[in-house]
Amino acid sequence: MNTKTTVLGQTYQFRDLKEIFAKANEDKSGDQLAGIAASDSRERVAAKQVLADLTLADIRNNPMLPPEEDEVSRVIEEGINEKIYNEIKNWSVAELREYILSHEAGESEIKRISRGLTSEMIAATAKLMSNLDLITAAAKIRVVTHCNTAIGQQGVLASRVQPNHPSDSVQGIKASLYEGLSYGIGDAVIGINPVIDTADSVKDILNMTKEVMDKWAIPTQNCVLAHVTTQMRAIRQGAPADLIFQSLAGSEKGNKAFGIDVKLLDEADELMRKEGTSYGPNFWYFETGQGSELSSEAHFGIDQVTMEARCYGLARKYNPFIVNTVVGFIGPEYLYDSRQVIRAGLEDHYMGKMHGLPMGCDVCYTNHMKVDQNDMDNLGILLSAAGVNFVIGVAMADDVMLNYQSTSFHDIAAFREVLGLRPAPAFEKWLEKIGIMENGKLTPIAGDPTIFM
Amino acid sequence: MDEQWIQSVGIDVGTSTTKMIVSRLRLGRMSSTFSLPRYQIVERQLLYASQVHSTPLLGFDEIDAEGIGAILQAEYEKAQISLSSIKSGAVIITGETASKKNAQHIVHLLAERSGDFVVATAGADLEGVLAGKGAGAEKRSQALQGTVVNVDIGGGTANAAYFQRGRAIATVTFHVGGRLIRLEREDVVTYVSPNIQEWLKAKGLHIAVGQRVGLAELTEVATQMARSMLDYLTGKERHVSGLLVTGPHLRGEFPVEELTVSGGVGQLMTGPPVRSMADVSRYGDFGPLLGYVLQQERERGSYPVRWLDPEQTVRATVIGAGMQSTEISGSTVHIKPELLPIKNIPILKLEFTEEQLADPARIHQEVAAIYQLGERLFDKTTGIPFALAISGVGYCSYALLQTIAQELADQYRHYFAESRTMVVICETDMAKALGQGLALRCKGEPEIICIDQVRVEYGDYIDLGEPISGTIIPVVVKTLAFDEKA
Amino acid sequence: MEQQLDFLVDKVVAELQKKLAELGEKTSGPKAEAAVEGKAAPQQGIAPVTATKPQETHSAPAEPKGTALIPNPKWKEGLDELLASTPARIGVWRTGVRPLTKTMLQLRRDHAAAVDAVYGEVSQEVLDQFSLFTVETQYDNTENYLKRPDMGRVLTEESVRLIQERCQKRPQVQIVVSDGLSASAVDANLKDVLPSLMDSLKSYGLSCGTPFFVKGGRVASMDHIGEILEPEVLVLLIGERPGLVTAHSMSAYMCYRPRKGMVESERTVISNIHRQGTSPIEAGAHIGTILAKMLEQKASGVKLVL
Repeated sequence: MNTKTTVLGQTYQFRDLKEIFAKANEDKSGDQLAGIAASDSRERVAAKQVLADLTLADIRNNPMLPPEEDEVSRVIEEGINEKIYNEIKNWSVAELREYILSHEAGESEIKRISRGLTSEMIAATAKLMSNLDLITAAAKIRVVTHCNTAIGQQGVLASRVQPNHPSDSVQGIKASLYEGLSYGIGDAVIGINPVIDTADSVKDILNMTKEVMDKWAIPTQNCVLAHVTTQMRAIRQGAPADLIFQSLAGSEKGNKAFGIDVKLLDEADELMRKEGTSYGPNFWYFETGQGSELSSEAHFGIDQVTMEARCYGLARKYNPFIVNTVVGFIGPEYLYDSRQVIRAGLEDHYMGKMHGLPMGCDVCYTNHMKVDQNDMDNLGILLSAAGVNFVIGVAMADDVMLNYQSTSFHDIAAFREVLGLRPAPAFEKWLEKIGIMENGKLTPIAGDPTIFM
Repeated sequence: MDEQWIQSVGIDVGTSTTKMIVSRLRLGRMSSTFSLPRYQIVERQLLYASQVHSTPLLGFDEIDAEGIGAILQAEYEKAQISLSSIKSGAVIITGETASKKNAQHIVHLLAERSGDFVVATAGADLEGVLAGKGAGAEKRSQALQGTVVNVDIGGGTANAAYFQRGRAIATVTFHVGGRLIRLEREDVVTYVSPNIQEWLKAKGLHIAVGQRVGLAELTEVATQMARSMLDYLTGKERHVSGLLVTGPHLRGEFPVEELTVSGGVGQLMTGPPVRSMADVSRYGDFGPLLGYVLQQERERGSYPVRWLDPEQTVRATVIGAGMQSTEISGSTVHIKPELLPIKNIPILKLEFTEEQLADPARIHQEVAAIYQLGERLFDKTTGIPFALAISGVGYCSYALLQTIAQELADQYRHYFAESRTMVVICETDMAKALGQGLALRCKGEPEIICIDQVRVEYGDYIDLGEPISGTIIPVVVKTLAFDEKA
Repeated sequence: MEQQLDFLVDKVVAELQKKLAELGEKTSGPKAEAAVEGKAAPQQGIAPVTATKPQETHSAPAEPKGTALIPNPKWKEGLDELLASTPARIGVWRTGVRPLTKTMLQLRRDHAAAVDAVYGEVSQEVLDQFSLFTVETQYDNTENYLKRPDMGRVLTEESVRLIQERCQKRPQVQIVVSDGLSASAVDANLKDVLPSLMDSLKSYGLSCGTPFFVKGGRVASMDHIGEILEPEVLVLLIGERPGLVTAHSMSAYMCYRPRKGMVESERTVISNIHRQGTSPIEAGAHIGTILAKMLEQKASGVKLVL
């Protein structure tokens, strides 16, 4: 494995794969905080150059976090199709990048090859891609999943309506839900982040959302994003949950900080299989985001892009209905400004799709980052062009419970209108029946939440 | 502590029947671990419902308290409930039995034989609201734009409550009930309530004690009575029908979208057709006939309302009393546990405006005025003359809190020097801070009980139960009067 | 007991009978009577507090409380009900698929307030009001503060010296205030939270050391301060990451015997303290209760039973 190169007259010798991977990343404050970032642009390019020439076998044979020490690594390893891997193991990362971007590689070819790739290999290609490369590659891959309804089709931009309330008032949640529905938002999921992590509270919210879905015959799915154990308790008590949610990290230690492990996820998976009320076959909702492993000191000196890819390696095991990266929630110590957030959003979406995941994105920021709503407009359009499965809809982008800004109901309507995208087919039919949408356009009554009262 | 169960009892002593239920209410933490604690009742389970007993009477309208006591004792044994485990609940003495003499007897007796729970006494408005809750009208109104009315028709009175968007907005009570006309030997009238005489006269109907009455004749009386009540409820006509109203009349139109009838007569609506005087008089009164004619009105559909079956009929009031009467105060409060429970404290309401709060002199005046009112209304006592309910404060700064606490404490000790306990109920979450401010000033003379997040109105009475886990106070608000702006 | 019951029953029944007697007459509310009383009997004996300036008008921008902009809603009263149920920006209507200008500008205005809160400084006047002296962490500047949370956890050498010089050592309760991510949270809430907390300490008979202000502080700066002063319990009142509903939200982090290496689960937190959230005076009073329980149980965080 060659770990040395010369750039613009200067020779760089890298210690190991971790260093190459970290320094090949585009600039991120999180890698700086971890003390693993390239010191300047020249070193960054040197690392990219070395990475480009590594073979896929080099990456697999020199594990950054060995499977013996980490169960996420084991899940990733166990998921590899050895036959496909053997066909390509001698490819360099550069060759893999070019194959993915080539006209020869269509959706099915990429999906096939993906089964022979580890998360680290996918992360490696992302490091060699420009923003437009990430968009071009991801746009080729459609991932259609089905819970109560199907999303992910060509030409479809779905959305999660996120009607959070600062004290979990069921009435307050309902108010934002009505507003969202009236803009045609909510085809991916009606998903609420609760303040109160108790089975009672989760049950109340699930029951309310289910009542609304039943009353108006809305073809979608509901979910309350409490800790997985709380949701399991609520489901065992008979709460109607179409999807089960959990945040993932890219290492066993990181997951431990979230209070989960593979065994618990398996148990939840089993519960949904046996007691879930939705049609399936997909009933998981995962969230991820660059930097979470560093924040729980569970990154093992590995860069945040690679750790993020490993989350997708874990997610893949459970055939989720939806996955999204909460790209800008974590704060400026991981993603400092709009450049970094936009980059991370495109990387995560690409890496998720390369794992065969139904990838969405919470295009978002907190108020202590150097980001504003214009940057969200940009990233939203870029991801919509890249074929993102869904984005998050919050009333005027302002989440009054999580205290951050995402994309608004208006924004999603605009992404759809500008790029000619549609809601999920079943949901669009429903919107037409209710009279909110006609031929893919909002009607004059759209935007009035009282039509649901 | 994440959850806790309390047992609550409901007892309904009516003109014709008496029933009790035992329920358990689950208190759950309804705030995140990063907020101030807040508990609510998150689940209500019916543990036991007694059979419907005939109310034992001495004469026409005096309740046989001993008889009630015997019934309850037997029921408690049957339910295997120990009196000491009951932490909350309500007793409702309804209809024509709600006389002073009866109330006194029964309350004494219940204090001995029903555990040291929170006791409520009669009040037609409260009864109507509790029956409406028990019948499911409150819950149903949350799903509708219009108004839902439930009328609970018992032996002596019919209590109607109007609900809109989950809130009780009005109540009215009628002299309509199954035992207002009583019969023996099928067709001999033994009693006609004096309360309906005027209405009978206005309607040109004649029925007198001692006479024999035919089915057609009595059906006419029952039908007219049912229609008068429905006329009044729906606003079709309120002049003559208003003669049946006891207590305050409705102030407003309240167009009704849905109607349910609960109570004993509500149950009789589902009974077999009444075809003879034998059918009518099977309970010694005209109740079955009243139920039957109401059912016919429902089938005829001549009133522009949607009739629905109530969730409960004969037990609506007792279920409401046992399961829906208890609330939970905010969990950051200032109390002395040994002073609780306290019962039947009348409410005085101090409603501040923004302008008043901006001016310490006006705060002083307002406090003086309300205390002077309290001085006039209530006798001097070493106990608790009243609970002061404070509303309109909105955001309370520390500076404002100091002014309010100073005025409340100083003037209380001036006007009610003999009172050893002061009770304050805040509408917004400020009880701990205000209680602390008052206690630092009063230093135990008087002791301070300050709770919050309970809505009370002038004219209400309030019971505060023993604290659960230190700071969770079960509260029963007994609405005796409806605020007109509601 | 008997007598009291008699008395209560009499009262209730009397009230009932009074009501029955009125038969529909409008009961005149206490407000009407009170107003008359107020005029008839001015100030008996007790002098009112001298009229000072009107209650402070808070300088924070008007909060984005919704007025519906929907021109012809299907159900107008219903819309009011929805708006009253949540602080979320609903009922805002649209032009095409974009928000109206007013709504868009409101959002930008609130974002500006949030950014100002991060980059702003706590007013010296507020600190002086409570005689708080100022020390600093190693944060250096705001940009570095945001990128390097680790540097906001350690005080400068100069600050350590100042604290050692001016503060009572090993106090029962140590109060520390910090700007954190919102200087305006301190400006907006300290004058309500802190005196209410002091009253609460007084009620519980707890003694308090010398409070001070930490500029550029992170939550874990508690650990360093714990090492220096060795208090039994420490409470840090610190500005939270600003949101758009409010940029002035404060948290109180509490810890029993803070020292280096404390983990998150060893701290007890009350967050969202601001005008529209957890009431600052009530929070102050409740913090005192929590501190008293910490002292009693010698524990904080998940081990503390509240």
